[in-house]
Formats: sequence, structure tokens, C-alpha cells
Amino acid sequence: MFLSQLSLRNFRNYRNQEICFNPDFNIIYGVNGQGKTNLLESIYYLSVNKSFRTNRDIDLANAEGSEFLIKGIFNKGSFSDQLEVNYTQNGQLQLKVNNCKTDRYANISNYPVVIFSPDDLLLIKEGPSIRRKFINLEASRLVTSYLKKLKDYQRVLSQRNYILKDKIGFHRKIELLKPWDQALVFLGTEIIINRVSVLESLKIEATPFFDQMSSSHETLSLDYLSNLTIAGELCDINTDVIREKFFELLLDKREEELRRGLTLQGPHLDEIKISINGSDARRYASQGQMRTAVLAIKMGEVKLFKKLCGHSPLILLDDVFSEFDEVRQENLISFLKDEPGQCFVTTANRPDHIMSLLRKRHAIIKIDRGQASHERDRADH
Amino acid sequence: MAYPPALKKLVEALARFPGVGPKTAQRLAFFLLSSPREEVVTIARAMVEAKDRLEFCPACGALCEEGDCSYCADARRDRSMLCIVQEPRDVLVIERSGRYRGLYHVLHGALSPLDGIGPEELKIERFINRVRGQSIVEVIIATNPTVEGDATAGYLAGLLKPLRVKVTRIAFGLPVGGDLEYADDLTLNRAFEGRREIL
Repeated sequence: MFLSQLSLRNFRNYRNQEICFNPDFNIIYGVNGQGKTNLLESIYYLSVNKSFRTNRDIDLANAEGSEFLIKGIFNKGSFSDQLEVNYTQNGQLQLKVNNCKTDRYANISNYPVVIFSPDDLLLIKEGPSIRRKFINLEASRLVTSYLKKLKDYQRVLSQRNYILKDKIGFHRKIELLKPWDQALVFLGTEIIINRVSVLESLKIEATPFFDQMSSSHETLSLDYLSNLTIAGELCDINTDVIREKFFELLLDKREEELRRGLTLQGPHLDEIKISINGSDARRYASQGQMRTAVLAIKMGEVKLFKKLCGHSPLILLDDVFSEFDEVRQENLISFLKDEPGQCFVTTANRPDHIMSLLRKRHAIIKIDRGQASHERDRADH
Repeated sequence: MAYPPALKKLVEALARFPGVGPKTAQRLAFFLLSSPREEVVTIARAMVEAKDRLEFCPACGALCEEGDCSYCADARRDRSMLCIVQEPRDVLVIERSGRYRGLYHVLHGALSPLDGIGPEELKIERFINRVRGQSIVEVIIATNPTVEGDATAGYLAGLLKPLRVKVTRIAFGLPVGGDLEYADDLTLNRAFEGRREIL
């Protein structure tokens, strides 16, 4: 699968842009502040229906227009699909696949992309919520019905929290909580099981890559932490056992929940522990180790998508090469060389270095003040 | 735009219907204008009459005419079965299927604390008293398969258990006559959960 064409209108600093891509490798280069990341962001948005930089759609619009349009053609074998995202002036998002309207997030599994940008270091550095967001997106793309379960779970959480905060008598509250306790446990258990299985598969794909990238043969580990799990392993994969423990813990926390007016047990509070050689990467890893760990996770994602969806995702690498030493750059390039997925790499420097390492068909796209143009096309077809 | 006042009034009135915008309202208005007077009178009367004569049965909450509930009063119905639904229109849907011959209870909603709907709003206590007061053997909970509908079902089941009645939840799964391949994943999951042994 690859993106052959992209049109942007009023997206970030692009006014009206049409661009074709190389099916294998695209080097996007230009000095800072010209719109390289914006281009990657538009591709990401087309696939995930969400930005990796902001939660507010309006931020993506060119200030004047306050509306934007992204259109792209994805080629899959001998077929091509046209995807369209239109953010209208009244703040509505209209999505189309081959001119048929679809819902937001309805197609996130079908045209997968994997991004790696400098901001992704936050995946290790920041608090647990960013890692929950990460696993939620992965599970939504890899497990059908996960997104629906997650939405239902969030609805149950708000209903339950509303009762916990409500100013009513104790016994009445307990009575009212009952059906929501049950819903929380049932949906929560399914979410945990899905997350654990996605994380396990991701770990299997990511660890060899990390091992190869890190010079001193360190090991990367990804573990799901919940008080329903013991040392990252679910105490039992049996649904009934998890449910029973979940109910028990919910009962233990009842008093505190009532005091604070919040649900204090469930996957919305769980954590993913990323560790290197057994110690918590968030606390002990160096910048370089963090970078390698995140990259390994991202490359693991690529492999996982390929394994589970049958086709390689698009790989978006934002300003990655400047951050790695030469050994790691070569490692990365050799991974990308073997990877059949279409790549988009941004760089602020002249791309000669990447090109000399790459030796693969590629296109060079120069970005200058919100204008993209092909500098030289090495595509030999 | 100069509309004759009577037409304007009619279009505005019709545009109040759900799903009817100004264009459709205008089309409906012209339809009425082109119809014979008697027909228009019949339509208008039907609306007013329905509004005047229909009410919710104080016992089961279904629609009934002038205090005469066609479900509660029907002697041929199976009085040992009670089916709980969320909305009055759900009763009509189940009736249309013709399979179920028991009594109904309409909740007029589902539990949703965020929307201020709790057991009082759904008059759950009255419902429990109804079950207690009658010789009901089975209660079928047919609330919608949504977060709120499921929670309501769970809540009612908890209250009904001590009353020693059989509590069942309506089955969810494949549409009859459809192909397995067209079922969405969630429906299919539910169908597997609700599978049963062939006897």
C-alpha cells in the first residue's frame, strides 16, 4: 500500500498543494519552519483522523480560511482508494472514502501509518496517560471493536463518576452504583485483555530491533501494569478471574472513591512500563537510550501491522536522522531498506548523506514556505 | 419573500415536525392545499383526536386509548410473562412480530445519571410492586443493547432476583435471513456469547 497523491487546501501553511509521491521512499527536505512536519501531519491525519500534535482540529486550518481539506489516493495492489477529510467553516469534519461519507475513525485500520517524531520521546518521559493513549490507538487499529468498547467504557466512567460526586445518601449511592460497577468491570476487563495482548505482540516485534540498535545489547521490555496484574503478567487470562478480582478491588476502594468522587480502579488508570535491562526507562534511561527505545517500539508497530493487517503501513520519520549517531542511522536505514512500506523522511540538512546510505528508489521533495516541489526524482520507473 | 399569511403559518407549523425542514414543510403544505377539503379535515382531526384520546396506561406505561389498555385488559394474554422495554414504540415493534403474548412494562427511558435519569424517574419502585403483586413467573428485559440499556437491565435484574421470578435478557445476535459474513464484529461477538445448545 502506498500514498501516490496528496492534495492540501488551507492545511497549516499550505494554501493549495498537489503532490505525487514515490511508492518507496520520499525525502522531504527544507530549512526549519517551512512545513515539513505539516506535510507528515496531513498524511497522519488522513489515516488516523487525528493529529499527533494537537487535539483541536481548528489549529490545523490556515488561520484565514478556518477550514481545510486533505485528499489522498492510496494504492493497494491494482486498486486505489481516495480518502478525503474536510473540516468545514462551521467546525464539522466530513470524511469520505471513494466519495462515500464515512464516520471519523471508521477507517483507521485500513490505511495505517506509523510516525516517529522527536516529540515521541514523551512516550517515555511523560506520565502514564500518554502511554495509555498510545496503547488505545494501537489497540483501536489492531483489534476490531476495541474503539467501541473504549467509548462505552468512557461513557460508563462518566455515568459512574456522576453518581460518586452526587450529593445523595450513602446507601442510595451504593444502590445506584451497582449497575455501573458491573458495566465498569465487564467492559474494563475486555479492554485490559485486548491491551495486554496487543502489548505482548508489540513487545515481540520491538525487542529484536532494540537489541540490534543498541550497541551494548541491552534488552527492552514493555509491561502492562495494573493492580489486576502481577509483575506485568495478568494473574490469569481467564476473564472470570479478572472480573472477580476487579470487583474485589472496586469494593476495597469504595470508601476512597466516595470521598474523592472518582472511579479509582480500572484500565483508565493502568500504566505501561517501558524498561531497559530491567530498570524503568522513564527514570533511568539516557536520552539516547530513550530515543532508541521509542524507535524500536515504532518499528515494532510497523512489523506488527504488516503481520496482522497483511500490508505494510506508511512510515513517517520526522527529523529522526539528526538525532542519531552514525551507527544508529545506518541501522535505521538498513531496516527501512528491507521494509516494503512507503517511507516519508524529513530532514533539514541536504539529504546527500541519507541518499548515499539508502541506495533505493526515492524522490526528493523540497519544501519552501508552504510550497512543495520535486527537486530530483530518482524513481527509475 | 411575500408569503400569504395562512401559508406561512402552515409551513411554520409543519416545520416543527422532527426531520422536517422548511423545504419539506412547504412541499407538505402544497400537498395539503391540493387535497380535497375532507381529506385535510380528516388528517387534522386524526392529529387532534390522537392527542386527546391517547395516554399512557398507568399500570404498564404503554400507549392506551381513554384508559382502556389493550395489553393489560386483554384476557387472552399470558399473565405470567412480563416484558420490559424502554419506549412505548418498542411495544409496537414487539407486537408486530406477533411472537410474544405476555404483558408489557414501559420504563420511558433508561438509567443515565448524566441526564438526571435515576430509578425514580423510571418509576422502578412501582414496577417492582407490580411484579410482586401479580403472579409473574418470568420477566424478559428487552432494553436496548447500549451502555445505558445494559446498565438498566443489570439494575432491574438485581432488584428482581429476591422476588424469585425468572429474569431473562432478550437475545442479541444475527439478524434472521442475513448472512453471517455481513454481521459486524460486535454483533457477532454477542451472538457467540449468547449461543445455545441445540436440543
